[in-house]
Amino acid sequence: MHSGIKNPVVKIIFYAILVIWGFSVLYPLLWTLLDALKDNEQFFFNAPWALPEVPLIWSNFSYVWSKYNFDRYFINSIVVTGGSTLLGLLLSAMTAYVLARYKFRGSGALYLLYISSMMVPFILALIPLFFLMNSLGLINTTIGLVFVYASSVLAFGIFVLVGFFKSLPKELEEASIIDGASHYGTFFRVMLPLSQPGLITVGIVNVLNIWNEYIVGTILINDPKHYTLPVEIGVMQAEMQYRTEWGPLFAALLMTIVPVLVIYIVFQRKIASGITAGAVK
Amino acid sequence: MKPVSEKRQRNLFIGTFIIPTFVFFCIFTIYPVVQALYYSLFDWSGMSEHKTFIGLGNFKDMFKDPIVLRAIGNDYFLVVGKIVGIMIIATFFAVALTRFKFKLAGFFRSIFFIPNVISVVVIGVLWNFIYNPQIGFLNAFLSLFTEEKVDIAWLGFTSHTIWMLLPPAVWAGIGFYMILIIAAIQNIPDSFYEAAELEGAGQWRQFRSITVPLVWEQMKVSIINIMMTTLNGSFVIVWIMTEGGPDNSTQVMGSYLYQMAFRQYHFGFAAAIGVLILGLSLITTVVMQRLLRHETVELS
Repeated sequence: MHSGIKNPVVKIIFYAILVIWGFSVLYPLLWTLLDALKDNEQFFFNAPWALPEVPLIWSNFSYVWSKYNFDRYFINSIVVTGGSTLLGLLLSAMTAYVLARYKFRGSGALYLLYISSMMVPFILALIPLFFLMNSLGLINTTIGLVFVYASSVLAFGIFVLVGFFKSLPKELEEASIIDGASHYGTFFRVMLPLSQPGLITVGIVNVLNIWNEYIVGTILINDPKHYTLPVEIGVMQAEMQYRTEWGPLFAALLMTIVPVLVIYIVFQRKIASGITAGAVK
Repeated sequence: MKPVSEKRQRNLFIGTFIIPTFVFFCIFTIYPVVQALYYSLFDWSGMSEHKTFIGLGNFKDMFKDPIVLRAIGNDYFLVVGKIVGIMIIATFFAVALTRFKFKLAGFFRSIFFIPNVISVVVIGVLWNFIYNPQIGFLNAFLSLFTEEKVDIAWLGFTSHTIWMLLPPAVWAGIGFYMILIIAAIQNIPDSFYEAAELEGAGQWRQFRSITVPLVWEQMKVSIINIMMTTLNGSFVIVWIMTEGGPDNSTQVMGSYLYQMAFRQYHFGFAAAIGVLILGLSLITTVVMQRLLRHETVELS
């Protein structure tokens, strides 16, 4: 029935635009990989698009890994991202469930408070947050970063999960209550497993955002021991003015990109549904 | 079980599920925001306990500070540039990948979203490399067409350098909004298009009479979303690529806030910039909602 585009010339032009844009997206990834295998000399004397010369400088990776302590930053990023995603997910699921299923005084206002907080620029809170964390002794700690990130994803999680819980049939809970289960038991044993698709969607979107987060990390962490990957990338880039180690820089970029890329490839559909749900405020 | 104790159990349950989240949220989100409003009324270096209450003094100083004015200008430049750039390209891709029946549409859709899963820091570093005067892509590419080697410092112009920050910002934003518009287009019943096709309406006609009016709501949300995320968050890419330089010419409100607070220790003044960002983004949202509603009426 659908003919799509009829004019072959227009069709070719449109196709070309798609291909060019696709190239502009994929090529930076490819060149990050290729440039991670070059030494400085090649950066200065060969064209930027030239292939790396043989022998490939695989040692850039091990150099970044051990000399720049990327082993540590990688673990820090995993711990911070995992910890804050799980904590944020638990806290938002609990509140979302109650807001979706229980009527009580102030429930509407509470929901509104969470949702409207998404409108407030995060940078506004940055300065007081710094002093708050300082007085709590949470500057330069992993747990401090976990708390702040977990708190920053609450609103989004509550928003999406309230919608999700509302879409689940009520009969299951009622049956569980009749069977004598407590409210807690019903939540943890019946509702939480049922809401897995929603939890995964929210969780994946949060993982991507937290893994990539830079500015809060930079402000709350200034001890290299606790750097996350984006924070270290920022530091490396700033240092690049004084010491030129382009190959290692690209190796570092690649190590930061690959985990999110893998997550994206695996959970593509979840991510698309997550962002669509979150953007219709 | 007596009804009273059941009610109590229910309330206890509600409490234990609501309160931890709420306390957490209050400490790490609400409290800092309220504090920021409070700090904005003080002259405070942050390092000492000593704060001087100066009322709206910071706000008065702000409008005398040419850098703040330039930052506001740059912010709105990015807002407009990103809205135009992202919306046109994202809408085109969304339509092309749904209505034009291209082969590989799914593949294109997947890869177009990739920039959105990459950290802004990484994107900033990659584009810095494109612009690098000695070894960057752009100069190397231009050198192919010239006798002498091109060595333009793309991020070093004293004016208009902000233009250089627009391509990375647009490039990084397309995929997200494309996905949103695709979702909206897919909600349009196929029968609408089939009927139009029977009437002999071409793609352009279908786009104007069916697609745009029916996804307008989503486009409106997208436009406002671009505006808000730009005012609230564009400073990260600015900070990575130029740190607001050269000579403060690419400063946006967020980057100037960051510099004032964590480089120059004018915490009160910086907090006031934060309040300005909040105020401007709320006002702009209201204004835009008005403007865009008006346009819907015209279209329908």
